[in-house]
Amino acid sequence: MTTLVEPRVGVRAHRLRLRRRATVVTAALASVACALFVVTMMVGSFPLSVVEVVGSVLGLRDDPAVDFIVRELRLPTATAAVAVGVALGVAGLVFQKLLANPLASPDFVGVSAGASLFAVSAIVLFDLGSAGIAASAVAGAMCAAVLVYALAWRGGVSGYRFILVGIGIAELMLSLVAYVVSRAEQLEAKQAMKWLVGAVGQSGPGELRLLLVALAVLVPLALVLERALRTLELGDDTAAALGARVERSRLALLGLAIVLVALSTAVAGPILFVALMAGPIAMRLLGPASGGGLLAAGCTGAGIMLGSELIAQHALPIALPTGVVTGAIGAPYLLWVLASANREGRGG
Amino acid sequence: MSRRLAARGLTLGYGPHDVVHELDLDVPAGRITTIVGPNACGKSTLLRGLARLLAPRSGSVTLDGTALESMRTIDVARVLGLLPQTPVAPDGIAVGDLVGRGRYPHQGWFRRWNAGDDRAVAEALEQTGTADLVDRKLSELSGDQRQRVWVAMALAQETDLLLLDEPTTFLDINHQIELLDLLTDLNRESETTIVLVLHDLNLAFRYADHVVVMKAGTIAAEGAPIDVIDAALITDVFGLACEIVPDPVSRTPMVVARGRHHATGARTVATGTLPTPAANA
Repeated sequence: MTTLVEPRVGVRAHRLRLRRRATVVTAALASVACALFVVTMMVGSFPLSVVEVVGSVLGLRDDPAVDFIVRELRLPTATAAVAVGVALGVAGLVFQKLLANPLASPDFVGVSAGASLFAVSAIVLFDLGSAGIAASAVAGAMCAAVLVYALAWRGGVSGYRFILVGIGIAELMLSLVAYVVSRAEQLEAKQAMKWLVGAVGQSGPGELRLLLVALAVLVPLALVLERALRTLELGDDTAAALGARVERSRLALLGLAIVLVALSTAVAGPILFVALMAGPIAMRLLGPASGGGLLAAGCTGAGIMLGSELIAQHALPIALPTGVVTGAIGAPYLLWVLASANREGRGG
Repeated sequence: MSRRLAARGLTLGYGPHDVVHELDLDVPAGRITTIVGPNACGKSTLLRGLARLLAPRSGSVTLDGTALESMRTIDVARVLGLLPQTPVAPDGIAVGDLVGRGRYPHQGWFRRWNAGDDRAVAEALEQTGTADLVDRKLSELSGDQRQRVWVAMALAQETDLLLLDEPTTFLDINHQIELLDLLTDLNRESETTIVLVLHDLNLAFRYADHVVVMKAGTIAAEGAPIDVIDAALITDVFGLACEIVPDPVSRTPMVVARGRHHATGARTVATGTLPTPAANA
């Protein structure tokens, strides 16, 4: 037994090293997101100081003018950016880990496209308001996801089949979106196109509240299910042999990811590439400590959204929708993923 | 202590086809069982069925007399482990992290990582000679190191029964022997019941206490290799004309294929004129 003393120390040290790295990286990402959250509320046509913003958000100061600017004008947009970012980051990484593919984010496998189709139909065909558009987006994301899951089902759902079916469904949905827009009157077409680009704060407070409630419930649930996710990413047979309830866990994880994507789409439209980028960036920073990662991915998503929002609103000569900026960052990233996947012979 | 795994009237299949037909099998407790047979005879399917990864179409798989289907999967996982033929690992995973995931069935909502888990992982790394690799990335390792790490993960699960699907397939011959020796040590020291699907007949006959020869989804023969293996059986199951000679090292049956170009005595080493191509290649 004496020979076992040394490796046992090694195993413990290894585990503690991984845990420390995960804690440090996640805390750092959360700090960056918090800092960006405050900065977003400082800049604008009426610049505010850190003290004014933080004081107003926490209700420590009594300055009606500042309170109005912060709480009424800037806080809802900044909160929406954080909520959408966390939702997309967590959902994206859940998809990518479950389907074992860096390209398998919800915006590629039809979920966002389903939301788009229903929302655009709500605008063009039924002339609904923002709540109706949001509800349609949620319904569309669910329909697309159920369709993909059902079509990919063969006594179980494998990663590749899900992705290929998902891409097919996404293309179908997007061509229908184009058809619906082509049928629209000019004003509605413009509104639909605006929604399709995606911007933080384009819907009402009701949808944001719904997304925040969903995050409060689903993020802790995702962290509980992360234990099962750690076995699922070893393949179905290994996961089942380890005693995980494979289909049930996968369905729960996919379900919560789809709800998060659907609600974030309801709030901000189909913001592209955030779900694709957040997880892999967090995983790269976590390195060998990437066994967890959902929380880190959520923080990364929030950071990307806030950063994109800052650039979209303030860094450019004219204010742009957030979706344009995430698209501009995401497109080169996608090309890089494809190029590096091909180099490694994984074929993306 | 040893647990009894058995199949009764077991029929397994995928899609419209039955692959394993009404098969009865008692896995000898505390022994090494190897399953051999030609491609598509159902040996991997049988292993998946025994590990409850594939639900029976009819019949049942029982552990100590209880049908696996009626047990909680996590309870089965504390007793019965399986290493699939081609397990997959996420990018960049570290060896210690991967082996630690073998502890999944021993943890739960409230029971998180403890010193017992550290001990199990350390022992698994030690037994497989991978303790020095604990901080390395799996993707940086050689094929045989990687395979030993996977075995370590299965060992960390601390099960009385361990099923392995062609664990030696991608290994060089020296590493095949090392791995099979390692599994034999494990069997002798902790009385772990081991079931292996193996492609190499001679290794399967050498390392098995009990061999199961499958043909077209049924068992053609089973028992101690020395008792059940003969040329007629191999010819029948594999369609291969061959001779069975005693393995010069272990005295277990060794299959020497005939082939069309090497009729007995036509070219012999004894003449010293022609190099004989390896007969078992």
